[in-house]
Amino acid sequence: MNDPIFGIGKLDDDLDGIPFNKMVLLSASPAVGNEVFGYQIIYNNAIHKNKVLLYLNRTSPQAYLTEMKDYDFKLDSNLVIIDSYSNLTGIKSEETATNKVISNPADKEEIKRRLSEELENGYDLVVFDSLSLLIDSFDFDFAISIVDLVEQKLKNKNSSAVLLFTDWEYGENDINKLAERANAQIEIKGIEKRVIFGQYFAVIKCDWVKEKQFSSVLFKAVKPGGIKIYFPKILITGPTDAGKTSFIHSASKDAVSVDRLGGTIALDHGNLDFEGYKADLFGTPGQERFDPLLKLLGGEAIGVILIIDSTKPDQFPRAIEMLRKTETYGLPIVVVANKANLPNALSLDEIREKLHLGKDAPLFQTVAEDLSRIDQNEPTKLKKEGINQALSALFKELT
Amino acid sequence: MTGIMTGYPSFNSLTGGLDIRKTYLISGNKESGKEDFSYRLAASALGGKLAVVYITTNKSNTELLSEFASRSLNIAQYLGVSMKIVDDYIRNVSPQATDNNYTKVLNGPLDLTGLSVALSAINSDMSKDGKTIINIFDSISSLLLYNNPVTMFRFLQFICGRAKMSGVTTLFLLDEQMHTSSVNETIRSLADSIISLKLEGGKRYFTVSGIAKEVLEWAPLA
Repeated sequence: MNDPIFGIGKLDDDLDGIPFNKMVLLSASPAVGNEVFGYQIIYNNAIHKNKVLLYLNRTSPQAYLTEMKDYDFKLDSNLVIIDSYSNLTGIKSEETATNKVISNPADKEEIKRRLSEELENGYDLVVFDSLSLLIDSFDFDFAISIVDLVEQKLKNKNSSAVLLFTDWEYGENDINKLAERANAQIEIKGIEKRVIFGQYFAVIKCDWVKEKQFSSVLFKAVKPGGIKIYFPKILITGPTDAGKTSFIHSASKDAVSVDRLGGTIALDHGNLDFEGYKADLFGTPGQERFDPLLKLLGGEAIGVILIIDSTKPDQFPRAIEMLRKTETYGLPIVVVANKANLPNALSLDEIREKLHLGKDAPLFQTVAEDLSRIDQNEPTKLKKEGINQALSALFKELT
Repeated sequence: MTGIMTGYPSFNSLTGGLDIRKTYLISGNKESGKEDFSYRLAASALGGKLAVVYITTNKSNTELLSEFASRSLNIAQYLGVSMKIVDDYIRNVSPQATDNNYTKVLNGPLDLTGLSVALSAINSDMSKDGKTIINIFDSISSLLLYNNPVTMFRFLQFICGRAKMSGVTTLFLLDEQMHTSSVNETIRSLADSIISLKLEGGKRYFTVSGIAKEVLEWAPLA
């Protein structure tokens, strides 16, 4: 048995999982769902042999597990569901060792009794999906009494709880009563004007992590895959023929390039899905005549990968100039020294010195997968190792 | 700007069509023709290059398409492009149903958050494509069977607010005979305009209030 976790890298990094006896409130705005957080938390705990109890009143267990599978979260053990939905809608649901059916989900006493009995069996993690529906079906006082019951059982049984909650603009006093009972609160919201442009989550409070500033993080819920931290714009820049297009095509799926005779003349774009992160990569053209585009492409970037050709130190000043023109100085930056296995390639130390990089500045080498298959008119496939090192370093800087 | 044509020449000629960006309550009893009105409106809007999100709470997406087909309303070419179906029913009878390229399958009538999230996402996508959007809720009577009125009112208030903000035209279908007068009044208070339908002597009639050209006496719907 391990301490429960979120199974979402950023939250586990920042909060170090969900310690026993702690209760987490996942509070979402109505236009942004929190259910995928629930799927991911349940799945990652169950596969790590934590016993999970799910109180489910939002949908049927079959529909819930189907939805989890859509995100590639397939479970066959360590999950027990209290089905407080099916008998409201007439869906047939059989009582089994892993499916505890509430016969009358409109009966407060039965809900409380069955939940209390089940919690006595001892679970590592208890998940409520959803607490707001409990409020809607009954009232705030009943929901609070259930939260108090769970809190008491957590202490007796050494377990943790995650409460999924949608804030349908309930009264402030009621919300405060709920929030003050939670040890940690994570808000899930949308960036919206006329439409939703993006979604983010933010740790509002956490009583077991001291003296740490939490930042909000953009995310996407991806089928399959679940919650991925999302970076809307990573700029890939560098001099002509350094390998920017090759980097983007090797790192991402469905990359597109606007090019002519093998040279990028407008931009490259690729969707990156890497170790729980999603990002849009934008590559700049390297030729000086396209410099008016650089400022446009650099706008709103949040991180930069500077690609240089290890065999062409004469281009290094141009690389620095491109950083300036993209107006990305000050952003997290990772330098990738491409073509590192070609004759005359400079060593990392030589590159670091010529680029005036500090000893801790992230600098990695990339090489072609197969030198015999290089076509000047096509992006070269690069080995994953260097790409992954560079991406890991950049995402670490960004989070 | 011309209104949204409904597929009924008599309605269109008397009213000039529906104003965009408004919230309409389509009210009438079971045989009044609310669904027929919404199908013909949807088909007409799609033909006029508008986008339709059809939220079905009492029939599956395949049953919905059969209803269109049985009226010779051909919408196949719009499916997944300018017509999306939000199926909030099928998992009541087939819990393992999944999405297809024109249908978003939801978890059932109690999951109003799921419905709100799905609608926000679909409307955002269509809006980014520059489309004028109609959301049709067929029907909110089914949702009221499972959710308490306070919850439903809060949900509909949120939906109406977002629709206004996003420039979406919204239609709520309501069978007023299924609910108490106070529930009906509360739902009515959310709408900008009320279209009432009735069947009498084998013919259908309508009134409409709250738009520029109101029709306050029963007029034939044809």
